[in-house]
Amino acid sequence: MSGCEHAVEYVYQYIDDEMTVTRRARITMHLKRCGKCTDAFEFEKRLRAKIAASGKSQPPPELFDHLRALIDEERTLGDSDR
Amino acid sequence: MADQATFERDAMEFAPQLYSAALRMTRNPTDAEDVVQETYLKAYRAYDSFEEGTNLKAWLYRILTNTYINKYRRAQRRPNEVELGELQDLYLYKRIGEQSGASISAENQALDMFVDDDIIEAIESLPENFRLPVIYADVEGFSYKEIADILDIPIGTVMSRLHRGRKALQRKLWNLAVEHGLVEPTP
Repeated sequence: MSGCEHAVEYVYQYIDDEMTVTRRARITMHLKRCGKCTDAFEFEKRLRAKIAASGKSQPPPELFDHLRALIDEERTLGDSDR
Repeated sequence: MADQATFERDAMEFAPQLYSAALRMTRNPTDAEDVVQETYLKAYRAYDSFEEGTNLKAWLYRILTNTYINKYRRAQRRPNEVELGELQDLYLYKRIGEQSGASISAENQALDMFVDDDIIEAIESLPENFRLPVIYADVEGFSYKEIADILDIPIGTVMSRLHRGRKALQRKLWNLAVEHGLVEPTP
């Protein structure tokens, strides 16, 4: 398997930082020598950041109050059982 | 063992994130709030069994996931493995690279053509067994081990679903770009 194929196979584990130190070092070495792979890895990283940024939504402001009220109610019910 | 009395103090800070994930799963603000409320109620009741010092966030997400599946997915639970077909590695990067005159910097700039709604639509298009791992890894930032615990599947399965789910997401993004007339369809 070529260095490029090997790198591409592990692109997600590399970006997710989910691989052994040795394997990671081997790919880092390859990236230092290979502009094409470096560029592809950069692309995957940027896409991932974009996906992460798209996911943030604000909860309705009353969510906390609702949750607290729910737990208070549950607590009161629990106490009255005793 | 965790103490119920400290539940609010310990768990409330995760509510915005859980809501955000629930909204992704249910695609509807009312359902998302319902799922989060039910999650907190169940978590409060079960808090005695939560082992202090372990991963509270992952524990809450696990309850959230089960609540969501029981509430919305039970009736239509799909066969466990929906296949996505063979997908090329670096799918989107290669498609963009094939566009006439695309240079290396153009490939990275090309990502700017996708707006949040495209990304959300692409995630939503994934079959459930790929969608949840992708949301947990890429949006919520969980580790493979945490996702395995939350979804109760082996780490190897998490990895392969993520791998294929991400490629399918890229294919959907590419198809959206074609639909929107932003790129030339590849033959």
